[in-house]
Order: sequence, then structure tokens, then C-alpha cells
Amino acid sequence: MSRTTSEDAQRAREARAWAWVAHLRDGGTTPWSAWGSDSATDEHSSRYLPGAQQLELLRRLNQLRLPPPELAERVLGTSAPGRGRPDLGLVGVLPESAFGPPPVDPAALPPDELVRVATSLLAEDTVAAGDPLAPRTPRLLRRRYRLFGDPEVANPLRDALAADGRPPGGRRATVVVTGSDLASMLVNVWTARSLGAGVRPWPDWIRAEVRRPRLLGRVDLAALAEAWVPRVGAGRVHVVLDDPRRVVRLAAGRRSVTMPGPLSVDAVELARRTAPVVGTLVAPERRTALMWHRLRPVLAAHPGPRLRVPRRLRPWLDEHTADLRRRLAAGGYAVHGALPEPAERPGETAPDEERVLTLAMQVLLGPPIGTAQAERPAGREAQ
Amino acid sequence: MVTRKVHLHVGTPKTGTSYLQHVLYHNRRALRRHGITYPADRFDAHFLAALDLMRMPWGGLEAQAIGAWDRLAAEVRRARGDSIISHEILATASRVQIGRALESLGHGHDAEVHLVLSVRDLVRQIPAEWQENVKHRAALSYGAFLDRIQDPRREGRIPTWFWGVQEIPDILDRWGRDLPPGHVHVVTVPPTGGSPELLWKRFVEAFGLDGIDLKLDGERINPSLGSAETTLIRRINRAANEELEPAFYRPLVRELLAHQTLSQRTGTPRLGLPPDVHPWATGLEEAWIEEIRARGYDVIGDLDDLRGAPPAAEYADPDHPDEALVSGAAVDALKAVLLDHARLQRELGHRDAELRDTQQELEKAYLRPTYRWREKLVRRLESGSTGRMLMTAYRRARGRSSRSA
Repeated sequence: MSRTTSEDAQRAREARAWAWVAHLRDGGTTPWSAWGSDSATDEHSSRYLPGAQQLELLRRLNQLRLPPPELAERVLGTSAPGRGRPDLGLVGVLPESAFGPPPVDPAALPPDELVRVATSLLAEDTVAAGDPLAPRTPRLLRRRYRLFGDPEVANPLRDALAADGRPPGGRRATVVVTGSDLASMLVNVWTARSLGAGVRPWPDWIRAEVRRPRLLGRVDLAALAEAWVPRVGAGRVHVVLDDPRRVVRLAAGRRSVTMPGPLSVDAVELARRTAPVVGTLVAPERRTALMWHRLRPVLAAHPGPRLRVPRRLRPWLDEHTADLRRRLAAGGYAVHGALPEPAERPGETAPDEERVLTLAMQVLLGPPIGTAQAERPAGREAQ
Repeated sequence: MVTRKVHLHVGTPKTGTSYLQHVLYHNRRALRRHGITYPADRFDAHFLAALDLMRMPWGGLEAQAIGAWDRLAAEVRRARGDSIISHEILATASRVQIGRALESLGHGHDAEVHLVLSVRDLVRQIPAEWQENVKHRAALSYGAFLDRIQDPRREGRIPTWFWGVQEIPDILDRWGRDLPPGHVHVVTVPPTGGSPELLWKRFVEAFGLDGIDLKLDGERINPSLGSAETTLIRRINRAANEELEPAFYRPLVRELLAHQTLSQRTGTPRLGLPPDVHPWATGLEEAWIEEIRARGYDVIGDLDDLRGAPPAAEYADPDHPDEALVSGAAVDALKAVLLDHARLQRELGHRDAELRDTQQELEKAYLRPTYRWREKLVRRLESGSTGRMLMTAYRRARGRSSRSA
């Protein structure tokens, strides 16, 4: 084949790809593999052909609901953050080359690759939602407390109290350690870390946790309580296992605190994937606040199966529950209620990549993060 | 109108980049006197900028990188003369990120961007990359690493990173697409055993540093390990990864064990390519040399340098190591950990003593009757509206916002 013919053929292949890009920009949903060879355009809407991941994400968004044009542009102009596969070429466009990653059929990409691109956009939207309101100046007359234990109770409660001018700490503080059954607490710790500094995927994390010689510090309620007895005396240490309302009363001696709605396993996974990208845009303390107070309420508005500990770990849970009960009983501090049996709740033991992608697209297509519309009421009253 | 040059060095890793960056950073003043800006307020400034450009989490360092690329680019645009930017992880940037980077540096406006890529033969780069992975917590065997990078699908973390930073024609295609070939400079690393000054001379030519008196007393910042030593680190990773937090891994394993201790064992067999993988690597080298030559880039050095040495007479397989050598390395590592632990114990003792003194002073202050009297008075005042007004007035007069007594 002569050089000119070869270049013509290449131009034709690229023109076909650019026509597909225009089709997707217009809200089209035809997969690349079904895109007609007679559709072509010489108009290039950007400097380079967007990657297969970006194009497929836009096509999938179009399938779900027509995105606003600015979202479509953002999708096409965003590279997946961090390490991973680079932006990939479309199969059938570039000539066979001995270099670079092999081109792909976008529809054959695993959902995980599209989620990577989506997390960059979600991170931008989360940051754009703005920081939560700064806590009010601490009240002078307030009950002094320190709050530890199950992060699903302790973290939002601490945040709510601090926002109300009741930050933790201070002299003669009452130490409250809150907990629930061991299985739920493990799920809650992984959830909290997914919204914070980052954590490994659930299957890897839980596998490593059960191999540890000691129980994870955050869920070892007896160790948490025992650490404070020498500092404040056993009379000021309370372990609350029965009712979160008691935690509120002991910590703040007051009224109601709205607790956040639970997250589905896919929502936590999406948060876990998004938090590190938010961490490339804002400082760690802002990242955590934005994840808890901006993205989490939006994710909570999308119900789905909850995460649970695999059943094969039941013997491990039983053994540690018995040990924890024994140590709590021997502690000499107040224990309200009894440590429940490990919960056998319904749910799934790992997120589903396809559902995570759908959730990411729903959030991208939904009302802006940080607005009331995006956060369908999902709160539950602690009191 | 083009008024200044920007030399943008984007890789590749293990080609003397750390030494180059060390020299450039410590000679910023000398460079500035010659009209060249190396915009960095800390040694790793360009690394942070690269992390920021690519939104790349890196064990918590990304928090320090926020906004770093824009700040770097702004300094380059403000510079009166030429500028140099250098970091090897830029090699893996995507086209979108590259487009943003070039635009932010003034490409197409008042800046003439010159891309610099330093390159070394794959026969040396492959084992070096595995070793680097191991020093970043990887626990996979050398065999598994080689299998993954040879898989044409290139899926997963290891091959995507490897090819992203090592596939020379692809890096040059991504970064050099908008640049004339004459503005793309390929610096080859001389073969092992050559003059150590030769690579530096090539960098001098690539960056236009000729005639500038630079202090070249930089240490070797990223030293390599032997085969048995790398095996030891991999075994430590396998044993400790699940329990050792990332924040402690870098100072303890990478710095203390790998860089400060095991890299000193220079007499042990070096890591190389297995004889059965060697032909595959040299085949790629030949294809790359042909491609680079065909594209007409400015080659500084010799493209023949990209042909790796023949296989060593005796291959030191890190997956089936000489256990006596690994044991020797382990003893050295244990000794280093013990000595470091002793140092920390001494430091802890000093800190404990300081803390005890401070606590005693604090308790004395709390026990004073005047303190307790003042505390009681403040509480009583705060319980009534008149008292609160008095306290407000007092605090204003004292000029502090704190509400505490």
C-alpha cells in the first residue's frame, strides 16, 4: 500500500471515531462496535481523541439519562486519576503498533475502569460543594466528654456535638465508649476509613484483620475503656452497648442528634475510591469533612444491600465476642447493656463493580452534591 | 513570540534522575546567575508538582502536593530566562494531563518547550523496576513480575506503571506529539563500566548547562540492591505488609534497611535478567532503537547504548537465592534495626523526663489556691448575665478571644 493510501485510510478511521465522539456528545448510545463505517467527520472537537474509558463512560451516562453538556465535556476531558491503565485507544482507529497499550473495544472495559474516571469528577464535585459550616464557638457551660468506639455512632455524634459548640475533651471529662456487635463494628470501621484516610478493599482488609494477634484497637472496647481508667478514674468511664441515646445523654446530657443514614456496600466502595482523589485536591482534614458531610449524605440517599462479614468468620467473631465480654465484665467501669452476638444481617460480602458504576453515574447525573435535593432525607433520630 | 525555553525532563526512572535533580536543586543560585531557573523551594518540589498534575495519591505526600503544579508552572512563566523541570514520574502522564502541562508552561505562546527523556537499556531497567517495586512494599516474586510485564494485555497495577514509565516510543509519542522532533532530546545512559562523567556531560548538553560552574558533590540518592538483598526486602514485605502502616514503611524499610544498610553490601551478586527473558528484552530494544531513529529526534549519546549487555555468565535468581547471602543480609538488617531502636529508646528517655517535668509544673500551677479561686469566680460570673458582661469586658480589655479562664 502506498504511503498516501495508508494515510488516507488512517484519516478515514479517525474521521469515523470523531463522528462517534460527536454522536456521544449529542446523547447517543450506540456502542463503538456497532458504529457504522460510513459515519465520519473531519471536525475534531478536541486536540486528541478522548480515551476509550472516557467515551464509554459518556455512552453509559447517556443510556442512564442525558447529561448536561458541561458534564459531557468534563467526562471527555478527564483522565483517570492516580495509577492504573492509561487512557486507551479505540480498537480499529489506530494502525497496528508495536508500542503503547493495546487499543480496546470500549464496551469490553471492566466497570472498574469507568469508575476510575468517575471518581475524578465526583471528587471535583465534592470539593465544589464547599466546606461544611464551621463549628460554633465552644460553649462555656457544657458537659465535658470524650467519645470513642464504633465510628458509625461516635464520629457523627462527635461532629454534631462539636458543631453545636460542644467539642470533646476538657478536664474531668466523662469517657464514653460506644459499641455494638463485633461484626457491625468491623463493617463500620471499614466504612469510616473508606470515608477518611483510605483503606484496602474490604475482602483484603477483613482477611488481614482476622489474622492479627489482637483485636483492632477501634473495636476493642475493653482496651479503649481500660486506657482511660488510670487517667480519669473508673467512675468516669462508661461503655454503652445498648442504646445510642444513652451515649448522647452521657456525652452531652441533652436532646436529639440526627444520625446519618446507612450506606450500601456499593456506596462505601465508591466513597473508598473517591476519597483518595479528594485527598489530591484538599488537605486531609478537609477531605474527611467533605466526605462525611457532603458526599456521604448523597450516597446514603441511594439505598442498596449493606456490607456484612463473611459467614466463614463466625467462629472468629464468636471467640473474640466472648473474650471481649469477659474483659468488659472485669473492667470495673460502668457497662450499659451487654455486648450483642455478632449480627447475622442480610447483605453482601463485597461490592459489585457494575452497581458501583451505576451509583457513580447516578450521583454525577443527580442534583449537585451539597444541595438538599441531592440528599433525600435518610436520617434516623438517635433520640 | 518565543522568548524563553523550558526544558522539561519527564523520565525515565533509574537513569540518573535523582543525581541530576540533586545537582540542579543545590546549584539553583549558580543557574540563576546564568539565566536558568530551577523553580524549587524543596528538593522534591517537582515530584509534588507531578503528583498534583496527575492527581496521584502517594502515601500521604499528595496532601503536600495540592496546587503544586500550578505554582511550578506560574514560576516558570514568571522566569525571565530559561527554566528546567525534572521528574521521572511525569513519563506516565496521560495526553490530557500533558496538554494541560504544556499549556500551563506557555507552550504555543511565549515558551519553547524542549522535552528531555533520559533512557537506559531494558536489560538493566527491568530488574531495576522490580527492585523499585519491592522497595515500595511489593511482595510479588521476580518471576511473577516478569510474567506480568510480558503479558500483552498489560492489565493491572504493575504492568501499567512499568510500561507507562519505561516504554520509550510511547512516552515520546505522548509527550512529544505537539513538539517538533528537534525539540525532543533523547539522552542515552552509557553502558555499565563507562565513565561516570559521560552521562553528566550528556545532561549538560541536553539542558544547555555548558560553561556553568556547578558543584557536583551530590551523593548517590537512590542506590541499588543486590539480588539476595532484594529477596530479603521482599520477604520482609510479605511478613510485615499487613501490620506495618505505610507511614512507617518508608523510613524503616525503604530508608533504614534498603538504602542505608543493604545497599552498602556491594560485593554480592547483582540482579539481572534471566537468560530466557533476555531475548525478549533485546528484541524490544532493537524495535525501539529503530523507531527513535526513524522519528528524527535529537539523540544525545548513542542509540547503541539502548542495547543491553549479554546475559551474565551466572544468573543470581532472587526467587531461588543463595540462602547464606540472604541470612547475611538479614543479620545486617537486624543490626541496623537494633541500633536504631537503641537510638529511639535514648530519645524516648529524654522526652519522658521532659514530659514528667512539665507535668509536675502543671500540677503545681493547678494546685495553687489562687488558680482554684479564679476558676470558681469565673464559673460564678458566667452563670449570670451581669457576670457574663463583666467577663466579656475583662476579656476585651485583656485582648484575647479565648473564653477559658
